Amino acid sequence: MVLLQPDPFLNELTSMYERSTEQGSVWVTLKRSSLKSKVQRNKMKTAGDSIEYRCLIRATDGKKTISTSVGAKDHQRFQASYATILKAHMTALKKRERKDKKKAAEGAVSKKSRQVS
Amino acid sequence: MVYITSWDEFVDRSVQLFRADPESTRYCMKYRHCDGKLVLKVTDNRECLKFKTDQAQDAKKMEKLNNIFFTLMARGPDDVAEAAGKDQMEPQATKKGRGRKQ
Repeated sequence: MVLLQPDPFLNELTSMYERSTEQGSVWVTLKRSSLKSKVQRNKMKTAGDSIEYRCLIRATDGKKTISTSVGAKDHQRFQASYATILKAHMTALKKRERKDKKKAAEGAVSKKSRQVS
Repeated sequence: MVYITSWDEFVDRSVQLFRADPESTRYCMKYRHCDGKLVLKVTDNRECLKFKTDQAQDAKKMEKLNNIFFTLMARGPDDVAEAAGKDQMEPQATKKGRGRKQ
């Protein structure tokens, strides 16, 4: 498991998406973590310190796993870049054509029948 | 595996799940370009909610959900913008929130 800084992580994630266009999947997992052990957490709690939480993000393509940890300060920026990457790569999803009723009636019967209701 | 069909229900229940147990709840996303499918999973290791789709419009909704989760996880489950309307419980700063309430 490779722990990276947010920016290299985003670059690696991009190349993961690019590599798995023909086959394979990309998994991304988000989890909250303070990155401290339970003992330390309890100690900090009794001492009155506020625990700083970070968001742990892991990504894998089935073979290689990368991860990064994002805190409250950088999460906005990371979020924006992450959203851009997703938008750029999730192009295989179908687009709904509600306006072109003619087209739907003529040809694309499969799209209508596969609508997720 | 519990597949939810309504997006809004999926969002509501997963945020609820997270607020109930922020320490063990995680949000996973799997994307397969070759099949054109996206699957989202939120679990706290006891209960599991899943949502699958092949629609581009759901990708946009997922991005909003990503934002919600990022904020919740990085800031702690007391994000003011989220609290409005989603939660009736008092926002808790610590992870389990039992110690400070008294």
